Amino acid sequence: MPQSQHILTSFDAALAKLLDDLHAMASLAQRSLANSRTSLIDGNPDAAKASIADDDEIDQFEIDVTQDSTFLLTRFQPLASDLRQVVSAMRLCGDIERVADQAVNVARKARKLDRARVALYRDPLAAMYDLASTLFADALKAHTERDETLARGIKERDRAVDALNAEITELATEALTRDAQNVRDHLNVILIARHIERIGDHAKNIAENAIYAASDVDVRHQKSAPPSA
Amino acid sequence: MCPPDVNSIESARPTGQAPGARTVPSALSMTPQPTAKPEVAIAIDKFSLWYGKNQALHEVTLGINARSTTAIIGPSGCGKSTLLRAVNRMHEVNPGTRMEGKIELFGRDLYAPEVDPTVVRRRVGMVFQKSNPFPTMSIRDNVLVGLKLNGITDKVLLSQRLEECLKLAALWDEVKDHLKRPGTSLSGGQQQRLCIARAIAMRPEVLLMDEPCSALDPIATAKIEELIQQLSSQFTIVIVTHSMQQAARVSDFTAFMYLGKLVEADTTDKIFSNPANKQTEAYITGRFG
Repeated sequence: MPQSQHILTSFDAALAKLLDDLHAMASLAQRSLANSRTSLIDGNPDAAKASIADDDEIDQFEIDVTQDSTFLLTRFQPLASDLRQVVSAMRLCGDIERVADQAVNVARKARKLDRARVALYRDPLAAMYDLASTLFADALKAHTERDETLARGIKERDRAVDALNAEITELATEALTRDAQNVRDHLNVILIARHIERIGDHAKNIAENAIYAASDVDVRHQKSAPPSA
Repeated sequence: MCPPDVNSIESARPTGQAPGARTVPSALSMTPQPTAKPEVAIAIDKFSLWYGKNQALHEVTLGINARSTTAIIGPSGCGKSTLLRAVNRMHEVNPGTRMEGKIELFGRDLYAPEVDPTVVRRRVGMVFQKSNPFPTMSIRDNVLVGLKLNGITDKVLLSQRLEECLKLAALWDEVKDHLKRPGTSLSGGQQQRLCIARAIAMRPEVLLMDEPCSALDPIATAKIEELIQQLSSQFTIVIVTHSMQQAARVSDFTAFMYLGKLVEADTTDKIFSNPANKQTEAYITGRFG
């Protein structure tokens, strides 16, 4: 009769450790994102510091998860859903690490912004950041819970992040022509929007990975169907 | 009685496809299957087998594609070796064995009353778990024994076939200067390749392999696996193995059996990445107790 447990308890233990590390890494990245948002929207320098401080630990998690995945592949040669879990963990940790990098990039640039001068960007940046963070959280949830439906919706939802990026870039480009003396601030806003947009992209990658892990279907690089008339 | 002509034991392999042309992707290929329907070499239809009162196979239905490698996997006692031997009519020597259903080789019923089992075994070669070269015979005679028993005496033909088969079995370079030495003087891996050379000397259409690497070290195993991949462009190979990794490496198709029943058969890529059946998934991921 099929069992949910592996005959080799050491395999179950190794896989559980891998997934625990991945979840811990994802939690840290979410904390870094939240602190980065506070630094950007509320102008809190301590939050920026906290976001940047988390990065080293997240980097170490990426190394650990990659090494543990390699160990699992070498030692147990997993197959089918087990293999997909390990492969997706290797892919996932790369995306989580990049999300944390984007959070740090935003926090670093946020410290340099003149709050009064960039006040007009506050609301769209907050909306964009919240949307990207939610996408990231939902993509992680889809992966953990093998929720293919949730995962499949994320690509479409990422378009709203892209649209806000375009909107903020447009605003900042216009401001550059009006306020040429403060090029650096407006340019930083463009770069911050770009960093947040990349968070959405990584969420999309994680969602694609969740679909692969759940059903062995690779949806990467697929063109979306044109909108129906 | 005249000895049979060499042509009488020639392969009945259909000539529609050139040797080397494959109808299915290799085990390593992730490309989609071609749309053309592959030719079925062995058609097993509702085949059941009993050893006395014990039913070992339950209405197994399975199509095995020509010029490809099909692996049969499953836990001990699931009936995979029994099924393999049924394709070679090897159960007939066991008293009390009874069969129902049909096995066809290229459309011909292997169990039809008019079919001679020895002819079946010429067309369906077998390689066993433990290498079994004839201990009193030289390397040369081990390869050629089947031909000689069938009355082939043409020395040129025999020499040609000897070299051809030993080359196909990737053994020629290692033994060409020692052909008169006993077959048993070779290493375990070489002996198994010698047995493969002996099996293909009769130019069978099908090669059945029952755990051919289970007694070999990793290097000898790798050589046999490489050989299987080479031969599968010319022969229909069915291999029974307990090694999931071996099945994944060498086969194009994989069938999973449990308790005498065929649970699932599909491309090897599919079986080892995302099997449709939960029992298959549980078995290949090691969750089968």
